[in-house]
Amino acid sequence: MARLRLTPEEETRFVAQLGRVVDYIDQLRDYPTAEATAQPVADREAADQAAPCLPREDFLRNAPEAMGAFLLVPAVKGAEGEGDDG
Amino acid sequence: MAELWELPAEAIAAAVRGGEATAVEVVESCLGRLRRVDPLIGAYLVVLEDEARRRATAIDADRRAGRALGPLAGVPVALKDNLCLTGSQVTCASRILEGYVAPYTATAVERLIAAGAIPIGKTNLDEFAMGSSCENSAFFPTRNPWDLAMVPGGSSGGSAAAVAAGTAPLALGSDTGGSIRQPAALSGVVGVKPSYGRVSRYGLVAFASSLDQIGPLARNVRDAALLLGAIAGPDPHDATAAERPVDDYLAGIEGGVRGLRIGTVREVDTEGLAADVRRNWRGVCDTLSRLGAELVEVSVPALPAAIAIYYVVANSEASANLARFDGVRYGKRAAGQKDLLGLYLGSRSAGFGAEVKRRIMLGTFALSSGYYEAYYGRARGVLEAMRRQLADAFSRVDLLATPTSPTGAFALGEKVDDPLTMYLSDIFTVPANLAGLPGVAVPSGLDDRGLPLSLQLLARPFDESTALRAARAFEAATAWQAKPSFRGAPAGAAPD
Repeated sequence: MARLRLTPEEETRFVAQLGRVVDYIDQLRDYPTAEATAQPVADREAADQAAPCLPREDFLRNAPEAMGAFLLVPAVKGAEGEGDDG
Repeated sequence: MAELWELPAEAIAAAVRGGEATAVEVVESCLGRLRRVDPLIGAYLVVLEDEARRRATAIDADRRAGRALGPLAGVPVALKDNLCLTGSQVTCASRILEGYVAPYTATAVERLIAAGAIPIGKTNLDEFAMGSSCENSAFFPTRNPWDLAMVPGGSSGGSAAAVAAGTAPLALGSDTGGSIRQPAALSGVVGVKPSYGRVSRYGLVAFASSLDQIGPLARNVRDAALLLGAIAGPDPHDATAAERPVDDYLAGIEGGVRGLRIGTVREVDTEGLAADVRRNWRGVCDTLSRLGAELVEVSVPALPAAIAIYYVVANSEASANLARFDGVRYGKRAAGQKDLLGLYLGSRSAGFGAEVKRRIMLGTFALSSGYYEAYYGRARGVLEAMRRQLADAFSRVDLLATPTSPTGAFALGEKVDDPLTMYLSDIFTVPANLAGLPGVAVPSGLDDRGLPLSLQLLARPFDESTALRAARAFEAATAWQAKPSFRGAPAGAAPD
């Protein structure tokens, strides 16, 4: 889900560090909770209407690889064979 | 006579409007200071010299032509490098965004420019604003102008150090869990985290969308108020920017604290305050009382859980927000990948630093099936309890006061391999983000090592005015001067 590939060294280090963080977070079990009331995050809803957006050529200027008017990517399914991991 | 770079923003704008100084002279003065001190502290990732000169020249031409100048006319402003300015880099201090050029300008930055301010450079930060020391930058760490062996705080450490060192009178930062207030505290400047919804986030690279706010860093409270007034307000580009009028933050700022009820939070004393911080804190309370505020002890029992709540909620949101960096549309792309999943994994693994990876993993863990209720659900529940405790406190007081940080600046490298200890330096700043409250950090003196300490004032949502007024009264009573000594600079390199 995180879509990260870790080196063995990173894995050893992160397991220890994140273990301590998760242990620390477990203290939340000792605190009372309250029911969250629905709070709108947005102050208002955006109008449902078409509006101009970033011109394609401006957007593609930051693309790592493009072909004509399209972003270029490798094959969707291929060597790693893991498919969609959700 | 004071050099132009030493003047407050308010005085610079008045001088430029009145013709006593030109915007070009102001920019050159700040650039001169920057060339002198930035090699010592590394506050800037890029300096926008040519663009700043161009804007300054245009402002001077406007004045000569008799056109009205804005409230920030000719004032150089440093921008945290997670804010967009058309045509300039936005790296978020991450390798994954190296080379990215902003195709549009953030609303807050656009408003500053409209008010006459001049962006002078983009400042360093912890990668994607994740950190409390500015050491998580992929490029280099920023150093504290008071002592070069110390961190400036983070994540807006570059903006705080830039302002403290005199390279710009104002800077913009962003604050998700204390990222404006904690570096302001450690670097001896003023920092403001506005209420959630007070400032548009359009053009700010998102970290945790229910918590992020853009806000000012300045060398005094009036300048911070001036800057906040220029950037606050609704924005059609950001549906979370509140549709409510903006106060005139300078109008009542000299009104003092007499008659205000200020809550001191009982749980603060239990959270590992160093002896010198505790001593300073008692002095702060005495000063506020002497100025006529009524101090009332209040309790926020969930305060000790704030960091635990924050690291679940913020990182859950971060893991979703950072999913967009995958090597497809922008940013770094790993070479030689045979399929799309390999491209995602390769690009993200090479592009993100250790702290960002830790937080993404923590966030995806907290949101994953089987753990969601135990972690995210639980954190939201305790968060709601804390919000109610804070609301209850604010039914009895006008402001809450705490130290901004439990310690003064710590040494570079001291906490970098111990993420949990690093996280705990935000214990007093995180509640404002979790509850959407405005917070002002104002210098409160020096610790036993001669490094800055800071008072934090929290107010009810959208009552920035009261927090700024109290901060201004406190500042006036303490006669603080942001004059860092650059301790540890090589002989001959220390500026005056």
